Order: sequence, then C-alpha cells, then structure tokens
Amino acid sequence: MEKRAENSVSRRERLNDGQNQVLAFLGGDTFKGFLPFIGLVAIIVIMNILTDGSLLQPKRVRLLLSQVYYPMIVATGVFFVMTLGSIDFTEGSTLGVASIVVSALSFYSIPLAILGGVLTGAAIGAINGFFHVRFKLQSFIVTICTMYLFRGVCAYLTTETAIPASPAIKALDSNELKIGVTLAVLFAAWFLFRFTRVGNDVKAIGSGETAARFSGVRTDRVKFLVFVAAGALTGLAAFVNVIKVGSITATAGNQLETQILISLVLGGLPITGGAKVRFSNIVVGTLMYTVLHNGLVMMGFASATQQLIKGLVFLAFVALTIDRKALKVIK
Amino acid sequence: MESELLRAEHIDKRFGITHAVNDVSLTIAPGEIRALIGENGSGKSTFCQMLCGIYTLGSGTFTLDGRAIQPRNQVEANRLGISIIVQEMGTLSGLTVAENIFLGHEDPFTRWGIKDSRAMIREAQRLLDEYGFGRIKAGAMIDNYNFEDRKLIEIVKATYMKPKILIVDETTTALSQSGRLELYRIMDATRADGRSVIFISHDLAEVLSHSDSVTILRDGEYIDTVNARDVSEDDLKRLMVGREIGSAYYRTDYGSPISDEVILSVRDVSVPGQIEGVSFDLHRGEILGFGGLSECGMHEVGKAVFGASWDRSGSVMLVKDGQAYLAVDGIPMAIRHSIAYASKDRDTESLIVNESIRNNVVLPSLEDLAERHLLKKRKLDRFAKEHSERMQTKMQGVNQFVSDLSGGNKQKVVLARWLGKGSDILVLDSPTRGIDVKVKQMIYALMSELREQGRSIIMISEEIPELLGMSDRILIMKDGRISGEFLRSQALSEEDLIAKMV
Repeated sequence: MEKRAENSVSRRERLNDGQNQVLAFLGGDTFKGFLPFIGLVAIIVIMNILTDGSLLQPKRVRLLLSQVYYPMIVATGVFFVMTLGSIDFTEGSTLGVASIVVSALSFYSIPLAILGGVLTGAAIGAINGFFHVRFKLQSFIVTICTMYLFRGVCAYLTTETAIPASPAIKALDSNELKIGVTLAVLFAAWFLFRFTRVGNDVKAIGSGETAARFSGVRTDRVKFLVFVAAGALTGLAAFVNVIKVGSITATAGNQLETQILISLVLGGLPITGGAKVRFSNIVVGTLMYTVLHNGLVMMGFASATQQLIKGLVFLAFVALTIDRKALKVIK
Repeated sequence: MESELLRAEHIDKRFGITHAVNDVSLTIAPGEIRALIGENGSGKSTFCQMLCGIYTLGSGTFTLDGRAIQPRNQVEANRLGISIIVQEMGTLSGLTVAENIFLGHEDPFTRWGIKDSRAMIREAQRLLDEYGFGRIKAGAMIDNYNFEDRKLIEIVKATYMKPKILIVDETTTALSQSGRLELYRIMDATRADGRSVIFISHDLAEVLSHSDSVTILRDGEYIDTVNARDVSEDDLKRLMVGREIGSAYYRTDYGSPISDEVILSVRDVSVPGQIEGVSFDLHRGEILGFGGLSECGMHEVGKAVFGASWDRSGSVMLVKDGQAYLAVDGIPMAIRHSIAYASKDRDTESLIVNESIRNNVVLPSLEDLAERHLLKKRKLDRFAKEHSERMQTKMQGVNQFVSDLSGGNKQKVVLARWLGKGSDILVLDSPTRGIDVKVKQMIYALMSELREQGRSIIMISEEIPELLGMSDRILIMKDGRISGEFLRSQALSEEDLIAKMV
C-alpha cells in the first residue's frame, strides 16, 4: 500500500499518456468533447441493427421519448450537484416520497399537488445540503444515508396498499405537457448555467473549492442551494411520473439514482465535476441510456443480463473518459 | 576524457504542446555538485523528475555508471541509486517517521510478509542520531513534526542509502538557516564520498557558494555549463534571462513621507492559535511590509484582513475621511469593498488550477461584468485577455488551463485578476515565492506603480531583502504578536529586523 502511494503519480501520468495516445490517434482533445455525441449516434445505429431496424420505428420512438422526460428533469438537477464535484444518491427515494405527496394532494387540486411535490423534493434536498455543508460531511455519505431513510419512508407509506392518484391528474397525460415541462426545465437550467453567475460559481467550486472561496464565491450557500434545487427538480419530475404511472408503490423510483449517474457519465460529464462539464451532457446522456436500455429490452435480454451489459458499458466509458489529472475523492 | 557518473543524452519531454525539456544533454562527474538553474518553466524540475522516475522519459537516454537506466518510479530510481528531495511536502501523513524513512524499502524488515516495526524504528532512530537529528523520534507519527522537521526527515530518507546521485530540488526555500546548514553539510559529505549532487535553487548566492559547476537552462533548452568559481551572480542572471538585467531591482526612493490618510484600521484582531491582539493602520499609498519567522502568524494576518480567517475576533474596519465606516467580515464583502488577496499557497487558495485562465481572472469581477445579471462570453474573454496580457502572461490563450503554467505565470494570473478588479487594498502574501528574477523584477515594478497610484499594499514576506527594499513601513511579528515597527530607511539592516523576529 505504501509503495502504491509513492508510485501513484507516475502511474497516473502513464495512464494518462496511454489514454492520450488513443485519443491523439482519434483526433485529440476535441475528440474527447465529441465522444458522447459519437457514442450516442453509434449506440443508436448499433441498437437499430441489432433489433433489425425496429428501434427507429415511429411507435418505438414515441415510447422511447415517453421514458426520457422525467429522468431528464432529474438529471438536470443532479448535473449541477455533480458539477460541484459532489454526488447525490437520493433521487430514487425522493421521487418515491414526492410521488406519494403528489398523488395524495392530487385529489384536492393539481397546482397544490405540483407545489407539494416540488416542496417535498426541496425539503429532502435541504436536508442533504444542510448535513453536507454544515457538518462538512461528504455528499457521498450523507446522500447514501438519506437514500435509505427516505426509501424507508416510502416503503412505510405504501405498506398497506399502493397509493392511487386522482383521475384528474392521470387525465393530464399527454406528450405535449411532458415535453413542455421538460423543455422548460432544460431551457431555464441552461440559461442559468450559461449566462449567469450560477454556472461560473458551480464550476469554480467543482474545480477548486478553496480557491473559489478565496475568490469571493459563497461556497457554502451555493452548495446548499444546489442540493435544494436538485431535490426540487426531482419533486417536479415526480409530478410527471405520477401523470404517467397513476399509482405509487414501494418501488417507485427504485435505482433511479444509478440510472441518472450512468446517464450523466455516458453523456460525458466528468465524475470529478468542475471546468470540463458541458450542459449537453444531460441531454446526450439521458438519450443514450434510454436507447441502450430499450435496445436491450427489445433484443430480449433478461433483466439480469441487461444490468450486466449496462455495467460493462458504464465501466468502459468511465475508464476511457475520466480526467486523471483532476482525480480526487468525490466530495 | 574526464570520468563521468551520469550522462544525459538528448533528453526531451513534452506536455501537450508545451515543450518542457528540449533535447538536453549533459554529463556529471563523480564527486561534483552541479547546480541546475533557470527561470520558472525552464525545465529544471521536469528534467530531474524524469531522472528519478516521477515523470516518464519523453525521449533520450540517461546513463548512470555506464549503464542505461529508465526508472519507472521513484522506488526503482532509489534502487538504481538516484534520490530526490523535493520543494513541497515529500513525506506522507498518517505514517510514523520510521515508516516514512523506509517507504518503499520495507523488505529488509519484513519476514514472511510480516513487518517488524520494532526493528524498523530501531534502525530509523540509529540513522536520525547519526545525522544529528536525535530529537526526532522514529516511532512517533510524522504529523507531530512541523514542516521543517519533516524536511529533515525527508533528507534522511533520501540520503541514508548513499545514492550515487542526490537531487535537491529547491529544498532550501523551505528551511531555516540551521536546516540549510544541515543540508549543505550532507551535500558536501556526498561530494567527499565521490558521489554527486544535482542542486536546484533560485538563490544564486547559494548556488555560487555551494556548487562546483552550474548548468543553465532556458525555455527547456540547454544554454551552458560554467564553473562556479569563474562567474558572478550577474553573469548567471544574464545567462538565465538571455539579456542584461538591471540591478535596480527594488525601489530606490527613500524619505518620501507616508500619507496621513488611514484607509484600513485593524484593531485587536486575534485568531485562536495563530495571532493575538494585532492592531495596525494602513495608509493610502503605502507598502506595509510584514515580516517574521514562517510560524509567527504573519500569514494569518493577511487572511484576517481579507475576512478569510475562521473564528476571528477583533475588528477590521474600512476608513474614509477619518471615520471607520464598514467592518470587513467575510471574503465576498472584502472583495466588494476593494480588498484583494494573493495567498502564499498559490495553487490551492489563489487559483483554481483545473480551470481556464479566463475563468480565474474574471471570477471576482463577475458582478461588475454582468449586464442586468447576464454574463456575455465575449465580454469575459476580452476582460481576461486585456488583464493577463497587461501582466505579460505567457499563454496560448485565455482558454488555456492554469495547471499548464509555470509558477511565475500563475502569479501573473493572480495579479491580473486583482488588477482587473481594480482593488485599492492589496494583500500580497509571499508575492515572489518560488518566482524567478525576471518576473520578480516585474512584480516589484508593478507594486511601485500601484503605490504611486495611491493604492495600498500589505506585503507579507519571508524574504528580508524584499521587505527592506520595497516597504514604506515594516511590522515584525513574533509568536502571533507584533514585536517591532520600522520605517523605511537606508540605514535599516537585516540584523535590525532579525533581532525582533527571534
């Protein structure tokens, strides 16, 4: 172990050398930026061939898109968290709890249900942010704990029976509404990220928190708010989810957190966060994951095999794209 | 032909498009202390780090004792007989002193996979005693020792196995006088033994008095090797920079009065374990120097003024027309009210190294650059370009990452950022630490210029000549308190300041 510590600098450099040689062969750093786009096209083409062209049939495409909306909304929030260099494992359980709130409130009023979902998510985000910032706990640890906590809450509330939503909310199920909400979220987030201090501050914290603090960034406040926002967006996604599924069971949002994590990394988001994130990571990643997932389903793989293949793809992608120079423990 | 211990032929290394070491060849004789000098980014450290396996060799060959070598890591280099003492912390926290000394060489103390800690500690203590560092206990955790002691431990680690080549990479800047003497003694002993030393240092006086020959590198290229006895410091400067460098290094004016106008008033500021009851006034257009030993608390004073200290008590007030009008309590507030801070720890506290030059320069000024809360990329680019070019930053463009830059250029980015912000009060902690003569000269000129413009500078420095040469007034600290005050004068000597430090 001790030897390893001493060797790690040169080994890391050598690995980077190797990676750079592969990348240089393919066209250098620019290529690294395009890799996710190329990956998306490649995965669509491959899956289309493997499914004998049925992937791109209009009916399939519509189904595929209908699966994209709520993960994309959730991924938008998590994108900011991961840009900080932090991580959030609570999306699945937040989605579950918020969906229950949305369903219960949907019998009174739809706007109230939406508000309730968003506030529930924001509250969970606030808990994560508070423990992460105030007690200087790693987000990794905090959100794994809260993930179990709220998964428990979700299971407790649905022990007796699944929680149904009102027919009124189910009647809202239309692609227009779901596309509208998703695009609105994406646009608002893109605008904040690209044209306001928010994007700069979040990236600065991801690249170097201490220096960001010494440059006047209110690091604690920004981190807290990012977790709250990520929770709130998951709460909004819960509304879209309830429209689609109609009733909530204990498994609502199960493993959503890993799906989001894999999507963003497939989309090219550096796991270390910071300067090299691109907003397009969200869209490309979510689409890639959905195509991969649907393709595997259509090819008739059992779900265990699907998981195995997804795991391998994920591992290969991270190994190829990670920036070893920026490597440190995830906050 | 003379006998040779090390032959380097056509050594070459690129980092991306930066050509760090460009076809360097040299030979070193047994029993020679060879200094390696050059400006920041001239390739001296990279050259040595390839020799000791920290970086992989780009191309070329090293021949040690007639055998071609290509160490893949430091442990392997150690076994071949090459070891290095580095500039920054080279010991690992969480291990004992003995474990650090024998890091990578545990085998003699290991039997059937089980480490005999007692034997290791015994042997480590024997070595420490032999070096005259008996007060350091081999069984204690390394964390119990301060930076300087840890450097001494590192020296033992690097030299106990009697390497054929010992590389000393800017170690002396981290050491006090007594530590330096220990290091010189070990270098001399190595030479007397017929082994060789590669000595990297920015301190040219030290280079001339402690080496046999000097190799100069510039921009990664080999320039010349000269005999240390035949040259002067000015000759070396000329070779390093490639042009004549004036001797007007520091300010030459004396006797200009300090303005009566106080702009910052610090009263009874304490930070637990760091500083106690520090009070002083900063005047308009004044360079106020802070000096002392490195643990005296002066570095914390800079953080306290900038609102960056944890758990600070007392007050830091901005003053206008004799009236204190605002207490500085946090970094965002300090920045908004025209206070700038350049940390001694440039890579973690001043700069986001994994970010572009552009984003580093604009970060404190984002509020000023936004139009109705919106940021325009073109405007940010122009701002960053303007100020980093004003500082003559050597860069490929503002999108280049700071991590690619050398120490001197990094400091230029830090200064560009605060020039851009237009701050009136600049707190510069060790502004020329690890920076070569050319950039140093430029920073001093800039400080004078800012002073003329009526801006005030708090300069915290461990270098006494710099304090004497640049300050209008010098405050000396000792054990967390201010222990003396001096006004600018030609009669002031280093000894006067040192007397108040110890």
